[in-house]
Amino acid sequence: MKPEVTTVMGGYVGTLFGSILPHLNSEYSMGDTGLMAMSFMMMAQEYDRAADIRLQENEDMRAVFAHAADIIDNVGLATLLRKAASGVDASMRVSALNAANDELKAVLIELHAYVEHSKAHWAPELEMRIWSVICAGTERRKLDFPKLF
Amino acid sequence: MEEIATRFAAYLQHRMPSASDVTVTDLNRIYGGASRETYRLNAAWKEGGAQKSRPLILRRDPVASLIETERDIEYNAYVAFHPTGLPVPEPIYLETELSWLDRPFFVMEQITDSAAGSPFNEDPYGAHADAIGEQFWTHLGHIAAADPKAIGFDKNLAAVAPDECWRIELDKWEKVIDEDELCPQPVARAAIRWLRRNAPTPASRISVVHGDYRTGNFMFNGEGRITAILDWEMCHLGDPLEDVAWAADPLWAFNNPERPGGMIARDKALALWEQASGMKIDEKRLQWWEIFNSLKGLAIWISAGKEYESGASREPILAFSSWYCTDVHNRVLATKLAVLNAEARA
Repeated sequence: MKPEVTTVMGGYVGTLFGSILPHLNSEYSMGDTGLMAMSFMMMAQEYDRAADIRLQENEDMRAVFAHAADIIDNVGLATLLRKAASGVDASMRVSALNAANDELKAVLIELHAYVEHSKAHWAPELEMRIWSVICAGTERRKLDFPKLF
Repeated sequence: MEEIATRFAAYLQHRMPSASDVTVTDLNRIYGGASRETYRLNAAWKEGGAQKSRPLILRRDPVASLIETERDIEYNAYVAFHPTGLPVPEPIYLETELSWLDRPFFVMEQITDSAAGSPFNEDPYGAHADAIGEQFWTHLGHIAAADPKAIGFDKNLAAVAPDECWRIELDKWEKVIDEDELCPQPVARAAIRWLRRNAPTPASRISVVHGDYRTGNFMFNGEGRITAILDWEMCHLGDPLEDVAWAADPLWAFNNPERPGGMIARDKALALWEQASGMKIDEKRLQWWEIFNSLKGLAIWISAGKEYESGASREPILAFSSWYCTDVHNRVLATKLAVLNAEARA
């Protein structure tokens, strides 16, 4: 699609704010229109990066699981971790990456809760590593918000 | 709009039997009230040979909302605080009979010549930031200092023990996440576990908690005076530090730790609150409520996303808050919890 989606979204935002919003006479419609315009800005950011964010996050989680499976002292959880770590993202469709991301995050929650309660020597380092993955994910997903109103 | 105006005029006629020729004009839905449909309007009528009018606010229960709340508890908060001198609009009618406007609603005084600042503005109060900030934190101190029983706020509310209020609130919002999450939430789950592992000390007293006291939920006039504290839909009894932490949450006015909510410096804000409330802030307990409030925010945004996704409501504000606010609170919580957990391991 040319022009690029991000360019078109930005253009639409300009049209909404510049040409449509000033001609609305209902406060509620103006509010909805303004919010939709700002949502378009977020969609434009997400369109470009969505697959990359999810792919990176999924790889990070699988790496932690592979590492954890070799050191934790819970056989059942280690088996679950190995299985989750062995997955691959065969499709770059965001819906497919999201489905994998959801499955991996459910495993991450289970691992995280287990590690938090562990007094084993490996637990502090593994917990830090899990937090590192989580924090990196929240930073990657950061939306630049237009400070407009 | 016309239909609501006609039906609401009939309602006013019913509530004011000595009035005649009741008309409702200038009915406009106000943007932002995501938990109720809020309308401003002008009511006019004849009474005792004189023509009278009054600007009013109508707050109607929504079909679906950002927050599920009891309108009678919200209404009662206005009833309780209006006589105390706290700037809240005068409550006028509470109506639960569905025949009038299909859903329950209440009516209150419209505060004119005032506006609310946006929580998504870096500098919502401009030159009035200092004056408004001083009033904002002082009013919150007065809310905390109020005796819930003496002002009638505790009507229809279960008593809460000082060592239980944290658990009641945490259970409530965890349940919202359990019921509404559209995908697994590692940050929210880690926050819940941290909050349970690090239970706070009991509240120094049980106070009125506004529940949504922040930038955007009060009005101020051109002279920089706060004229109305609004949006009491999440009010309850509990630890007054809950409100302090929510008011200072990083989401409001773009995470400016120097000026929470885009008003005055945090240290000054907390000192003003202590002075007005007569209470001393326990920093450790305040930290617990700060983590809790970012989790509560997450629960609200997760719930908003569920409402939109399910089709229960297609209000853009639900999708917007589910995207943007979830993003902010996930990042805020992850950053704080990573540090707190590392400290606990050290």
